[in-house]
Amino acid sequence: MKEITNKIKETATRLFKEGQVDIFMAWTKGDLPFQTKPYFARSVDDVDNIIFDEYSIHNLSGTLLKFRDGQEKIGIVVKGCDSRGVVRILEDNQFQRDRLYIVGVCCPGMKDPLVAMKNYSGFNNKNSAEGIAAKCLNCTTPNPVIYDEIIGEEQPPHLQGERFEQVNALENMSYDERYKFWADTFSTCIRCYACRQVCPACNCRTCIFDEMKPQWVGRENNSTDNMMYHLVKAYHMAGRCIECGECERVCPVNIPLMLINRKLVKDVNELFGSYEAGMKYEEGAKPALSVYNVNDPDNFL
Amino acid sequence: MKILSKTRLENVFNKLNETAEVFVPMQRGEQSGFYPWQTFAAGSDKLWLEALNVYLPPKNVVFPQTERMYNIKQEGQDVKIDETYEDSKSRVIFGARACDVKGITCMDDVFLTRGYEDSFYKARRQATTIIANACYAPGIACFCSAMGVKYVDPEGADIIIRDIGDGYVWETITEKGEMLTARIADLLEEREVTLPEPKPFQQDVNYDGVAEKLKGMFEHPLWDKLSQTCQNCGICTYVCPSCYCFDIQVKMYGNEGYRFRCWDSCMYEEYTREAGGGNPRPASKERFRNRFLHKLEFFKERYGHPLCTGCGRCTVVCPAGISIVKIIDAVKEADTDA
Ligand code: SF4
Ligand code: SF4
Ligand code: SF4
Ligand code: SF4
Ligand code: SF4
Repeated sequence: MKEITNKIKETATRLFKEGQVDIFMAWTKGDLPFQTKPYFARSVDDVDNIIFDEYSIHNLSGTLLKFRDGQEKIGIVVKGCDSRGVVRILEDNQFQRDRLYIVGVCCPGMKDPLVAMKNYSGFNNKNSAEGIAAKCLNCTTPNPVIYDEIIGEEQPPHLQGERFEQVNALENMSYDERYKFWADTFSTCIRCYACRQVCPACNCRTCIFDEMKPQWVGRENNSTDNMMYHLVKAYHMAGRCIECGECERVCPVNIPLMLINRKLVKDVNELFGSYEAGMKYEEGAKPALSVYNVNDPDNFL
Repeated sequence: MKILSKTRLENVFNKLNETAEVFVPMQRGEQSGFYPWQTFAAGSDKLWLEALNVYLPPKNVVFPQTERMYNIKQEGQDVKIDETYEDSKSRVIFGARACDVKGITCMDDVFLTRGYEDSFYKARRQATTIIANACYAPGIACFCSAMGVKYVDPEGADIIIRDIGDGYVWETITEKGEMLTARIADLLEEREVTLPEPKPFQQDVNYDGVAEKLKGMFEHPLWDKLSQTCQNCGICTYVCPSCYCFDIQVKMYGNEGYRFRCWDSCMYEEYTREAGGGNPRPASKERFRNRFLHKLEFFKERYGHPLCTGCGRCTVVCPAGISIVKIIDAVKEADTDA
């Protein structure tokens, strides 16, 4: 990791010196050993604060959206999952490719500072395991799919076992069981919308959940509105979710959002596939559900 | 001293439960928070008074995330309000930490003082008895004492309990507390014990002078820098024991419907969006700045104490690793001469 950090710093230094970037997005260390957090260097002087370590899990691609209306040239370090987020944002025309300098890192799998923080803080819910993060244990794409330069040895997919095991288990439940499962699960959502805010695929300028005239989804925290929120979000993610797992990771009340997202991935693949969102950037390419095809299946309508 | 033996806790909850909804700290599945004792499921829930603190504060007991206010009926040109929902059901919060009790007293300031009383809040608040659980061992994220909170002698509680290992010292503070104590008096015993020695805080925070200094820092470049990585996710405001912002919305079904209020967050774009579409806090920076100025400056100006109670929750849950403690440090260190 030290070596990767050094290479990232070298690149950042070079890019700043050559005037190729105004901002360089990476990570830095917090106070506690596991508190690695996003960091935006603005000049050569900041480069020394950059770090890449086993806790550099935070997907920075979503934060690009903060700069979408600007002119700044941005250097960004991406792991496999993050790189798919970048593709998503480019595909949706939210950023110009030539404003980006992408430094890819082949990712060995990360630990989650949020889990560690929760465990040590004394607030923790369940003492979750502190090894490789859940999202990384399910990772199919640890190597960046888009980059201007790449660091590290190519990694094999970290996913062991059956990708859709939990989805299959849900599909095999009876209708009533499944309904109860989701009703119980969503009843505890506090509707903070963190799952939306961290998501690189959620890049609409005005989100449907913020629309007031008309208000499509009510703001009450009850089963109807919570369910509506998650249903609508799910539909919006179909063919767009790049499985970075950030939504589930940041959710303060541990809603198993990846169960929904994986179901979407599976269905999109079966109905419109084969298709994996954000796997490669081609100018003008659109995600599966953004194009109409007369042969699209409609038997579920 | 009056002592409640831990073996009798459940008896106390059951007794109180006869006349009130009793909220106790529990680990519930993947979550922890204050949940009603009558919903306790022995298999899957764990009673958790020993926790440093639970994840979700008890503020929803007095200020629910969604609260129906009144029903509306439209009749021709007339609008009739046909029922209001002031809720004065008896409730007990059992085992809140000092920071969370302070969160509630901050809301008291907002909803009950300065010339306006919020009747919905008042109804709930008056019917709520607070039993605070004194802290003797602050955790890594705690800094309440720096924010003026008395962690060993929680202010605003009706009763204070102190963990002595096999039981709790039971100290009644207010009249409301006396009424509650009377109901369970036969479950308490009398014995002399030595109280534990409070442990020191694990982090140093110095809030002195911060509110005053912030007055001149609205346009300071530090907000750009500090807010860069914030994702405006709103988690910090929703887990905070003292954040009280809400929105009032309406649901209509034809000619009938109701108004309700629901928590809102200054982190959201929609929070400050005006009817004409303008927005005084269009970008992340303005919203971020508002949160910290409200917590650390405006509130203190108006009510004499900050709106942060030092519980540390937001510093634990922030996906971007943003910490109010660091903000306080950064403000202290900031150069304001320019
Ligand atoms: S999901 Fe994959 S690429 Fe992303 S951090 Fe985990 S292992 Fe790395
Ligand atoms: S992050 Fe979790 S609690 Fe917040 S809205 Fe999403 S699912 Fe609900
Ligand atoms: S829905 Fe979740 S997993 Fe999918 S792209 Fe968004 S944050 Fe990543
Ligand atoms: S939790 Fe952190 S990232 Fe989210 S809104 Fe609060 S400060 Fe910003
Ligand atoms: S601002 Fe943070 S530390 Fe302060 S009371 Fe709120 S959640 Fe706790």
